[in-house]
Amino acid sequence: MPGRTRPIEKFAAATAKCSKEGSAYGKCIVADYNNVYKDKCLTEFLKLKECYIAASKRR
Amino acid sequence: MEIFSQRQKWMQKERAASDTEHSRNVDYLRDEVASRLCERVLDINRHFDHVLDLGANACNIARMMTLPSPDSPDAGPRNSRISKMTAADSSRTFLYRDADLPFNKEMDIERQVLTASETLPFDANTFDAVLSSLSLHWINDLPSVLSQINNILKPDCPFIGVMMGGDSLYELRTSLQLAEMERRGGVSTRTSPLADVRDVGGLLQRAGFNLLTVDVDDIVVDFPNMFALMRDLQAMGESNAVLTREKGPIQRDVLLAAEGIYRELHGNEDGTLPATFRLIYMIGWKPSPNQAKPLERGTGMFSIKDYLEKNGEGKDK
Repeated sequence: MPGRTRPIEKFAAATAKCSKEGSAYGKCIVADYNNVYKDKCLTEFLKLKECYIAASKRR
Repeated sequence: MEIFSQRQKWMQKERAASDTEHSRNVDYLRDEVASRLCERVLDINRHFDHVLDLGANACNIARMMTLPSPDSPDAGPRNSRISKMTAADSSRTFLYRDADLPFNKEMDIERQVLTASETLPFDANTFDAVLSSLSLHWINDLPSVLSQINNILKPDCPFIGVMMGGDSLYELRTSLQLAEMERRGGVSTRTSPLADVRDVGGLLQRAGFNLLTVDVDDIVVDFPNMFALMRDLQAMGESNAVLTREKGPIQRDVLLAAEGIYRELHGNEDGTLPATFRLIYMIGWKPSPNQAKPLERGTGMFSIKDYLEKNGEGKDK
C-alpha cells in the first residue's frame, strides 16, 4: 500500500534481522519435532524475541 | 455439515478483490492452474457450445482461454472451441474485477453472481461442459455440489475441475503447528482441511460420473519469507475460513516462532522458503447410453508393456 508500511512488512523486516536467533530456535525445535511441548525451547525463544524487539525499535 | 464459513469466505474474497492491483499481482497461481486446466479441455476433441465456469474467481479460465496454447503457439487462441462461457461466482467484486479488460471482447462471457454458493441455479441438461478451478476446496457439501454439476450437464458431457488438495501448504501447516505447540502448548486450526486425492475418485463416482480421471500436480512457489506467503494467500482471498477457527490474528509470538521453524525445517539453501500447492485435477463424464465404455477386465489384446518397450518410450521422447 502506498504511503504507509503495513504492520506485517515491519514485522517481516525486523524478523529478517534476527536470522541467527531464529535459526537457533528452529534448530532446537527441529532436533526432535515429534516431541514438542510448551516452553521446550524457551531460552532460544526469549533470545529471538529480545532480538526482534530491539530490531523493531531500531529504524 | 458445515466446516467452512461461507460468509467469511465471501468477505475475504470481496475484500481481496477490492484492491484490484494487489489482487491481480497474486493471480500467478490461479492463472497457471487455469492454463493447465484449459489444456485438459482442449484434449477433448469436440466443440463446446455452452460452458459453465463454476467458482470463476476473476474469470481466470476465460482469460487463459483467450491465449494460445503454450504447446502450439501458432494455433490461435484456445477459445475457438468454445462458443459461450457462463462464469459464476458468489463474490461480485471478484467476478467483475477484470470485466473491462480487453479479453472480454474476444470471448462471449456471461457473468452470474451466485446468491447461494452451494445451490446451483441452473436447469438440468444445460451445459456442454462444466469447469471449475481452485474453488471446490471451499465447498462444505462436495457430494451435493458434484451431483448438481452432474445434473446440469448434458448427457455424455464432461466435468473438468481442479481443486487444492491433500498436502498443500504442508510447510506452513507444520511450522505453525510446531510453533503453537511450543509457545502455547496446543494447536488450533490455522489452515483449512483439504480433500485427499484418494477421496476424489469416490466422490465423483458417488455423484454419478463415469470414466473418471484423477491426477495430481504439485506447484512449488518460493517465497522470501513466511509473511510474504501469508500476505499473498490473503490477497488471493484464500485465508482460513474454517468455522471453528480461533478468531483474530495469529499471536505475534507464534508467528515469530513459526518463521524460525519454517526456515530450519523446510528452507531452501538460497534462503527462500518453498510452499507446495498440490492440485488435484479431475475429469468425470455424465453417463449416456451411447457413451464409450471401458472394456471388461482381461479382454485386452495387446500388452502395453511390450508396446512401450518396442517404441522406446521412457528412454527418450
